[in-house]
Amino acid sequence: MAKSVLSNETELSILEDISFEISSGETIAIIGTSGAGKSTLMTLLAGLDIPSSGEIELLGQPLSLLDEEQRAKIRSESIGFVFQNFLLIPSLNALENVTLPAVLRGDGEDTAKARRLLQSVGLSGRETHLPAQLSGGEQQRVALARAFMTQPEILFADEPTGNLDQHTAENIIDLLFAMNRDHGTTLVLITHDTVLAGRCERLLTIDAGRLVEQQ
Amino acid sequence: MKNINPSTGYKMVFRWSWREIWSGQLWPVTAALTLIVACVVALSALAVRVEKVMTDQGRSMMAADLVFHSANPVPQLLLSDAQDLELSVSRQIRFQTMAFSDNNMQLVSAKAVQSSYPLRGDLVLTGAAGLQKSSVQPGELWLAERLFSLLDVKVGDIVAVGDADLQVSGRIEAQPELAYNPFRTMPSVFIHYSDLDKTGAVQLGSRVQYRIFFNGENDALTQLQQDHQAQTGDSWISEKNQGRSADLIIKAKQYLSLTILMVILMASVTLVLTCRHYAASRAESVAMLKSMGAGRSWLRSWLFSQAAIMFLCSLFFGSLFGIALELLLRLPLQGILPDVLPGYGWKPFAFGCSVSLLIGLPALGIPLLRLLDTPAIAVLQKQAGKASKKHWWLASAPAAAFLLFYGGSALVWMVCLGLILLFLVLAGISYALLHLLSRGKWGAAMKLALSRIKRSPQTSMMQLAALSGSLMLLAVIWLVRADLLGDWQQTLPPDAANVFAINIAPEEQQQYLQELDNNSIERSDAYPIIRGRLTHINDLNAKDKAAENDPDVHALRREINFTWAEKLPVYNDITAGKWTPKNSVSIEATLAADLGVSVGDKLSFSVNSQLFSARVNSIRSVQWQSMKPNFYFIFSKDMIEQMPATWLVSFRIDEKQIPVLNQLARDYPTVTLLDFRTMGEKIQSMLVQITWSLSVLGGLGVISGILLIFTLLRLSLKQRQNEITLYRTLGASRKSISQTLWSEYGVMAAAAGAAAVAGAEALLFSLVKWGFQLQPSIHIGMWFALPALAVVIVFISLKSVIQQLLKPLK
Repeated sequence: MAKSVLSNETELSILEDISFEISSGETIAIIGTSGAGKSTLMTLLAGLDIPSSGEIELLGQPLSLLDEEQRAKIRSESIGFVFQNFLLIPSLNALENVTLPAVLRGDGEDTAKARRLLQSVGLSGRETHLPAQLSGGEQQRVALARAFMTQPEILFADEPTGNLDQHTAENIIDLLFAMNRDHGTTLVLITHDTVLAGRCERLLTIDAGRLVEQQ
Repeated sequence: MKNINPSTGYKMVFRWSWREIWSGQLWPVTAALTLIVACVVALSALAVRVEKVMTDQGRSMMAADLVFHSANPVPQLLLSDAQDLELSVSRQIRFQTMAFSDNNMQLVSAKAVQSSYPLRGDLVLTGAAGLQKSSVQPGELWLAERLFSLLDVKVGDIVAVGDADLQVSGRIEAQPELAYNPFRTMPSVFIHYSDLDKTGAVQLGSRVQYRIFFNGENDALTQLQQDHQAQTGDSWISEKNQGRSADLIIKAKQYLSLTILMVILMASVTLVLTCRHYAASRAESVAMLKSMGAGRSWLRSWLFSQAAIMFLCSLFFGSLFGIALELLLRLPLQGILPDVLPGYGWKPFAFGCSVSLLIGLPALGIPLLRLLDTPAIAVLQKQAGKASKKHWWLASAPAAAFLLFYGGSALVWMVCLGLILLFLVLAGISYALLHLLSRGKWGAAMKLALSRIKRSPQTSMMQLAALSGSLMLLAVIWLVRADLLGDWQQTLPPDAANVFAINIAPEEQQQYLQELDNNSIERSDAYPIIRGRLTHINDLNAKDKAAENDPDVHALRREINFTWAEKLPVYNDITAGKWTPKNSVSIEATLAADLGVSVGDKLSFSVNSQLFSARVNSIRSVQWQSMKPNFYFIFSKDMIEQMPATWLVSFRIDEKQIPVLNQLARDYPTVTLLDFRTMGEKIQSMLVQITWSLSVLGGLGVISGILLIFTLLRLSLKQRQNEITLYRTLGASRKSISQTLWSEYGVMAAAAGAAAVAGAEALLFSLVKWGFQLQPSIHIGMWFALPALAVVIVFISLKSVIQQLLKPLK
């Protein structure tokens, strides 16, 4: 699989000759320096974008054959995200942010489950707080709870601790792995932190758009 | 999960939308939309009422809602139809007759009226012992003030009107029907309709005017007018064709609709910018929702529900504010408006809703649909795509409505052309200004500011356009009002002449004028009057020639007044040709147009069966209502000087000079004095009322304009938050950032002010000249006031947000 973009009329290759498989339940870290193409790889794996050539099969479905709506459907049913900058909806409180994926899927607002999830990330009693009233670490916990709301088969985490201090980051990572274990989710973690990557079962290293190492 | 009702999801979306409106980024959009609804509702509700008041004013001056005027007895069918349409009817017959007292006699204009007269306006009659009455009863005779001295009678004396001997009941203090033509005004007397036969004045062939007054619902009046088209010798008189006040009302209405349009335009600009801002601030959320699997249809209904809730809120609160605003606007008009106000009905609300929907559809629709196109990948990687233009078709709805409503209005097209012109001027000025400025040597703050403006030309231009466009519109709203009022004041200034003296014999003329001057009475020049007819135009029969343009030219139907002069009156403007003192005539512009006459044409006239010809040397525009001596034809002295003439002069009498007027009436019994004091006062009071209404509306337009500019600037500053926070975090000093901001917005205010002045001056010129048909003028005051206002508004806006902007990153 490869990905290139047009920039100022010239074709810029971002990913080249990438090929690998991830099995269900695996925890995988994709590492590499800044600009290596990690995040682009993640957007392709999650079906947020499609490759320029080659094919990605997600949960048995070839992504390039699906239109945007069909890919969105797969994401709503089977995929969870944790982003570096949390991306909570500012006008929804913690509880509503957690229930959002279920609402998007058309399942209704399952507040009981959302409360349980918030409790499991240590945010009992903060349900009605808006993102602006929460610290960075707390916001990422809400994002974690949100990611597990629809019991996704795969969880993509893009530098989940990039905006957090050391101590909070460790807590979040512990929580992430614990929840991942409890829910039996496949985890794809994008990071440049090799220590953090070391906690995953498998390591993919990207350098200048190429897969250089698989451990 | 299975136990959860999916409808709970809708509830959450509803809560979410609600919160977006009140605490999120959507409230400025809601505010702009609410403002549009409130302004439109308030202005159109007030317009309905002011219009009603102005119409009532006009109608009270003609004594009814509608008048049928005829030289022939009124057809019975008209009366029975009026009855069927449930109209109130009152009849009047007017004729000229001699009134005789024991000592004197005088030609008078007698009005025989029914007791129901007048249906509108005030008739004030003061009888013996100061008893006031408002209607004429059988057997009564009421005389105009000056008849008491002319006939040398007092209340209780017997006066013969035609063949009827009637006892004088008292004097006419005020009467609703006013004549504008001094030559048609004779002292009036009122008698009852039932006493008409006794006078013997109405006989076969006698010159009598029949008038029927109607009051009732507008629809019924229109119906009646449609069913009975005026035949030869008949005419319908309504407030719309009733001379001076009709002109006032039409122009005031034009101004009203112009103000509403401009306020809508300004609010629309704000709406478009706030919507863009909102859409930009929500792109990340949409990308995130898409990444979590939200489909287009879900997002569409999500955005639609927000827009729908917002619209409903805006319509509701906008209508409420509109009602309150109308109340507030009405406060200064309290003295003018009647105690029981006519209701404004549902129309202002329907208008407010339609306008906000029509403007909101593209303003909100285009950025929101574009928002839907945000790719999911934007959640991780910012996409620098070009804004798509595929949703611009939404703008066709308001464009079509605009064409439908205003397509025929020249004024509106002028405003639109003015705006386009402004943008061109603006582009030129801004480009030149930036080019010039960037060549100079500046401090760091100014350099940064200039580079910032140049870096994002599209955004900067949009802000500039919005700022200068709003400034221009509010200047226009205010100054058109000033020009309009100035013109009215000029045509009928408070010191206008209020008395005409006619029939002054040539041998008395010098002495009469001397008498006026000795008493320091302000007067016009004296003009000779010679009655005659226009017979031929370039040797063709005048009536046949006129029929090519207008089959019924009033001035050809009767003898009219000619005069001669050595030079033209200064208050007549020459529109074509030049005054020459030999063998020539100057013609009034409207008549020239009706007759198809131009400079150089040969005109033939007849005076006392004496025929003569003259060449047209000039065409003049004449303000007939200016209470100054005016004529259709002014000849050079050599043409008609030798013909027998009487003289005319107009002058102004104030309260203290009334004894002089009475003395003049006694000393010169053959001179007819036409007293217009009451009419002058009535028109003045109407002017004061309309002035108030227009000032209040203009003031509201200006205030909403200023508020909109303020909102725009704050919005634009808020958009800079991230950039400024970054500078601040990088260690830029408070002083250097605020200097950069002051420089940037200072340059923008100056450029916008300059462009607005140019645009407003051009727009004012065309509106005043071609729209309101007045004399355009240059507004030097605005050249300074507008840029100053721009700077002040920018100063206040910046001051109000700068503290917040300067906070460093947490």
